[in-house]
Amino acid sequence: MAQSIVKVIINAIIRLLPIAIVLGIWQSVASLHWVDTAFLPAPVGIGRALGDLLSGHEIRDNLGVTLFRALAGLALAAVSGVWFGVGMARSWIFNAIASPLVGATYSLPKTAIVPLLILWFGIGSTMGILAVYLTCLLPIIVQTYHGVRATPAVVIWSAQSMGASARQILWQIFMPHALPDIFTGLRIALGFAFVVAISAEMIASTAGIGRLIFMYGENGSYDYMFAAVASIVIAAFLADRALLALSARCLRWHPSHAGTNLGATA
Amino acid sequence: MPTKISIRGVSKTYNSDAGEVLALQGTDLEIQEGEFVSLVGPSGCGKSTLLYIVGGFLSASGEVQIDGRTVDGPGVDRGVVFQEYALFPWLTVQRNIEYGPRVRNLPARECGAIADRLIDVIGLRGFEHRYPRELSGGMKQRVAIARMLAGDPSILLLDEPFGALDAQTRETMQDELLRIWLEMRRTVLMVTHDVNEAVYLSNRICVMSARPGRIVEEFTVNLDRTGTREAIVLSDEYTRVRNQVWLSVRQQAATAVRT
Repeated sequence: MAQSIVKVIINAIIRLLPIAIVLGIWQSVASLHWVDTAFLPAPVGIGRALGDLLSGHEIRDNLGVTLFRALAGLALAAVSGVWFGVGMARSWIFNAIASPLVGATYSLPKTAIVPLLILWFGIGSTMGILAVYLTCLLPIIVQTYHGVRATPAVVIWSAQSMGASARQILWQIFMPHALPDIFTGLRIALGFAFVVAISAEMIASTAGIGRLIFMYGENGSYDYMFAAVASIVIAAFLADRALLALSARCLRWHPSHAGTNLGATA
Repeated sequence: MPTKISIRGVSKTYNSDAGEVLALQGTDLEIQEGEFVSLVGPSGCGKSTLLYIVGGFLSASGEVQIDGRTVDGPGVDRGVVFQEYALFPWLTVQRNIEYGPRVRNLPARECGAIADRLIDVIGLRGFEHRYPRELSGGMKQRVAIARMLAGDPSILLLDEPFGALDAQTRETMQDELLRIWLEMRRTVLMVTHDVNEAVYLSNRICVMSARPGRIVEEFTVNLDRTGTREAIVLSDEYTRVRNQVWLSVRQQAATAVRT
């Protein structure tokens, strides 16, 4: 037991080391005045700016706005994307109709249509959520589709021979079988959600971290700009960790979730 | 004994990239209630295809009747075990076994009681709350058999049920299946590529020809199955039938190579 605690601590140190080294080099470069700290502020300065921002409600309010847009767009995309993917996987007619649309829009950078969305919906949260929604939709559709399609015939047949109805097979066979892929799609989408929410705010917005970063950049307050960037980096990291924890909880049964295998034998 | 399964003139064509492939051609087979029938034959002869047609998973021309009623899809009267187990990996052992009773809306207490009894039958007490990924191949196949039995089907369809297991585990599982069959006397249709397994377990063995498959020879096995494995395997009847079936399968396989 004591040994495993030591291992955990050593592991944590090793993992934090690269970040510490980068910050150390960055700080020394700035402290030695090899770069102009007006353009590349030192980590210590950024930390001070972040502390300053956190004591007020500047970060808190704007981060709240950005988080709301990113997560609302993601949630809507998750619900509709899963159904879209299931529909495509189970109905060849729906697949024939939808797959050209999915194929054509899959590689389109969704930020390119932000100006259009601004024209239609203004610069408020509706536009931001919609941009996030459209971006997150595609990876979730594609992953759900593959997860459902990959369900082995023998698993479906087994359920049928035990008397499961089409509805029960959808909820009890296709959905759980696709769940690992749906989580993969959600994780990709989560990354996109923050990128697009912030990009849209940088293009035009009255609130949000994206606007804050852009505003500080315009004003030349680069330490504050970096502090705003740091706040969204931390928020996005925590959101990703939360999603990973949720997926680990939901996928305890999955073979990829090793570690608890007790090596049972016949 | 009344006819349980009646297969008449069943043919099956697959569409593949190389065009249409005739997998089964005019297959006829009658299986009596309580019989244990094995299908053997060269690989690719369509024996699994025939089993899937009886299961109602594949459509085909010709007719399959169960108790005089034409098969038009899967049904709870036919339980299935596949070579690759086909367990639901997201459900625990207990939940896998309870699946059939649950989807048929049996009271929760009854579902639990059925699973409880079958966990003892397959000897997996203590593993009820494990997920399939935590089990060995032999244990998974036991769960698959228990899951099939939970629905109390009158016909058991077994598709190379022990094909993925090592030799020792396979023998243990065969003994367990034999014990269960002797106890319950259900009608069994089993596909296997193992001639010894077919002779050890079945009343009747049907040898199928190479593709397009049809039944070319039948062997009746008269063995006293109540004895020990040693007594059965070392008997003259076992050796005689095994040699005959083995030769028959070899001839079919040789024909397949020539054509």
